[in-house]
Amino acid sequence: MLKSPTTDQTISKKQTVSKSKSTFKLNANDKYFSLLFLGPSLFILGLFVFYPMIKTFYISMFLTNTLGKTSVFAGFSNYAKLLQSPDFLNSLVVTLAYVVGVTFFTLAISLLLANLASKKLPGISIFRTLYSVTMGVSVSVAAIFWLFIFNPSTGFFAIIANALKMTPINWLTDPKNAMWAVIITTVWMNLGFTFLILLGAIESVPQTLYEAASVEGASPRFQFFKITLPMISPTLFFVSTITIIGAFKSFGLIDLITKGGPTNATNMLVYRIYKDAFYSGNYAQASTEAIILTVIIAAFTLLQFKFLEKKVNY
Amino acid sequence: MKNTKKIILPLLLVIGAVLVAVFSNVISNKSTASSSHRTQIVFWHELGGPSEDALEKVVDGFNKSQDKYQVVPKYQGTYDEAIQKILQTHGSSTSPAVFQAFDISTAQMIHSGFTTPIQDFIDKDNNFDVNKISPVARSFYSNGGKQQGMPFNTSQPVLYYNATLLKKYGITPPPVSPSYSDITRVAKQLYEKSDHKVKGMTVQVYGWFMEQALANSGASLANNNDGHTGNPTEVNLNNPASVKFLEWIRENIKAGDFIDYGSGASAGANQTAGFLANKVGIFIQSSASIGQLTANNKNELGITYFPHPDGQKANGVAIGGAALWISNDKPKDVQQGAYEFIKYALKPEVQAQWQKDTGYLALNKDSQKQKVLKDLYKQTPAAKVPGRQLATAKPNYYNSGILMEGMQLTRQLEEIAMETVYNGGDINKALEKADKDINANLHTLNKANGY
Repeated sequence: MLKSPTTDQTISKKQTVSKSKSTFKLNANDKYFSLLFLGPSLFILGLFVFYPMIKTFYISMFLTNTLGKTSVFAGFSNYAKLLQSPDFLNSLVVTLAYVVGVTFFTLAISLLLANLASKKLPGISIFRTLYSVTMGVSVSVAAIFWLFIFNPSTGFFAIIANALKMTPINWLTDPKNAMWAVIITTVWMNLGFTFLILLGAIESVPQTLYEAASVEGASPRFQFFKITLPMISPTLFFVSTITIIGAFKSFGLIDLITKGGPTNATNMLVYRIYKDAFYSGNYAQASTEAIILTVIIAAFTLLQFKFLEKKVNY
Repeated sequence: MKNTKKIILPLLLVIGAVLVAVFSNVISNKSTASSSHRTQIVFWHELGGPSEDALEKVVDGFNKSQDKYQVVPKYQGTYDEAIQKILQTHGSSTSPAVFQAFDISTAQMIHSGFTTPIQDFIDKDNNFDVNKISPVARSFYSNGGKQQGMPFNTSQPVLYYNATLLKKYGITPPPVSPSYSDITRVAKQLYEKSDHKVKGMTVQVYGWFMEQALANSGASLANNNDGHTGNPTEVNLNNPASVKFLEWIRENIKAGDFIDYGSGASAGANQTAGFLANKVGIFIQSSASIGQLTANNKNELGITYFPHPDGQKANGVAIGGAALWISNDKPKDVQQGAYEFIKYALKPEVQAQWQKDTGYLALNKDSQKQKVLKDLYKQTPAAKVPGRQLATAKPNYYNSGILMEGMQLTRQLEEIAMETVYNGGDINKALEKADKDINANLHTLNKANGY
């Protein structure tokens, strides 16, 4: 068994090493020493994160031909063109509307459900299971399920409308409704996970706080806003961050339900990038859009940490 | 305790190494066993579902018919995505020897210089009469008098109607080659006589139909005769033919007999479901849907040609579907094997069975004499209509497809124009916007390609 050297011994050893320059030994203060540990992760990050990022930026400075190769240098004209294009600006607006809509409704509804399910009532576990069941539903299943519901002639909504002698709503073909259809589907999918996390947070709030408040005669509403909400604020912050990032990245549902249509009403940034690159083969434009999206998400995250985090009780 | 902990990690590593060794052995054994002495021909295709099963039947038939080559089919996802995979893997060891590329990527494939024209093989072959293959289909994939790709799964847009419903309400069915107003009449009557329970018609938001309306009216989308006499530099979607087509749809929207199912694959599925459930009486779709529409249909199926504008004769529609191409990055014997496979796929009996299994049209003229097809026509007489539409059309620039790059985006922009009109937008404005966007993309693409 090795005996750990005492601190005195290490210091004296260090001094002898630095004095004898003839032998090369790694030193804890040496910058090469840190490189030994950081090297592997730097290499992997460089290969899979930094290189693609730089390459994406490089491609965004050119026009790309049919084979997807850079051909004519374009400078920042790709950016200028995109930022003036009404279709691209529409994509930005639509993405923001979607992110805000999804985050708001996901948080509001799952908070309501979690608060209800935290009540000690007989049979409540059945509701807890029901509310979290969408967690096990895959994107494709959810999309097909909702497509059946939205079907204008045989769908659930259309049948109800026909029975009530009303004209059915064109959920997926009217640009005004398509966004709502996509938001509804996404919120429905998000609910299970968000509900479960929030329920866990509400359950872990110490019971004594509520007892004290009840003794003081505080109403349940007061208790919710002044005890529950502040106590679960770190979880709310976490959940909102996850939901916002997830909404920005949303792809599968859009691809399966609307494909960005009608008239670009649900053509989110990520979906647009995919379509420009892998449908139209316009890699220059797709790269430019990717860089713009990176800047937007970075700005969002920064804002969130700067302002929202201050409101969180730890 | 301490000792066992020390042992566990090395033990796991050893077990892992053994497992990896065993599995890699299994995998390498498998691949060597299947290749045997035959030359491997990797075949990329984009057919899923029942069509994939039918395609595998063709491949199996070829592999059993000879012992020199082994065709290995590999599914590659949607048509659009496969094009990018084909272009990006060319020259690498993973690229295919023979691949399926869809109609609107033809210009891209020719310009890429990544393929060996089929004509080179046909010229050396004394046992293959190319004139047996449908001329309209062939002209779509030829350029400069040379056959570039070989048409394979080929469909035609046709109009389907519910013959049983029409009989029930005493409505005269539309003629075989209907005009827009013929269809409007039937659609309106169906909507009125069914007491608004059945919608008259729908036209899916699909750029292909827009292009077919132009082809059938004898109008071109791109200059240089739709790209057949030179690379297109300008597009003109805002022309009388597209306006008439959209006015026809708008008239039916205003009358209330039109139902909009939107765009994309889900719209296709929804409208088929609506049609089979007697919710809509008329729709336009690829002839490849016949199989699906006859198998699950209690009603009698009616089929007509793609409708044409009033006061003029139909010019004939272009084909849809995809062609088979041979990559030029593979050795000579592999390319020859790819050609042999294509030749096999076009045999009369193979094409006849292919039409029966999938609904794609048999391209070999001799297929019509095969028992399989005769039986099919006896069972469903309407199934003859698409083939007849293909046979009666005389190939000209307008119905031979649009030989232009950037067609994928062009189609998306056409669809946006259609959606705008379906939702009450102005026809001319919608087409103008599409023209502006398509042309901007075309000019950038031409500049990037140095044309």
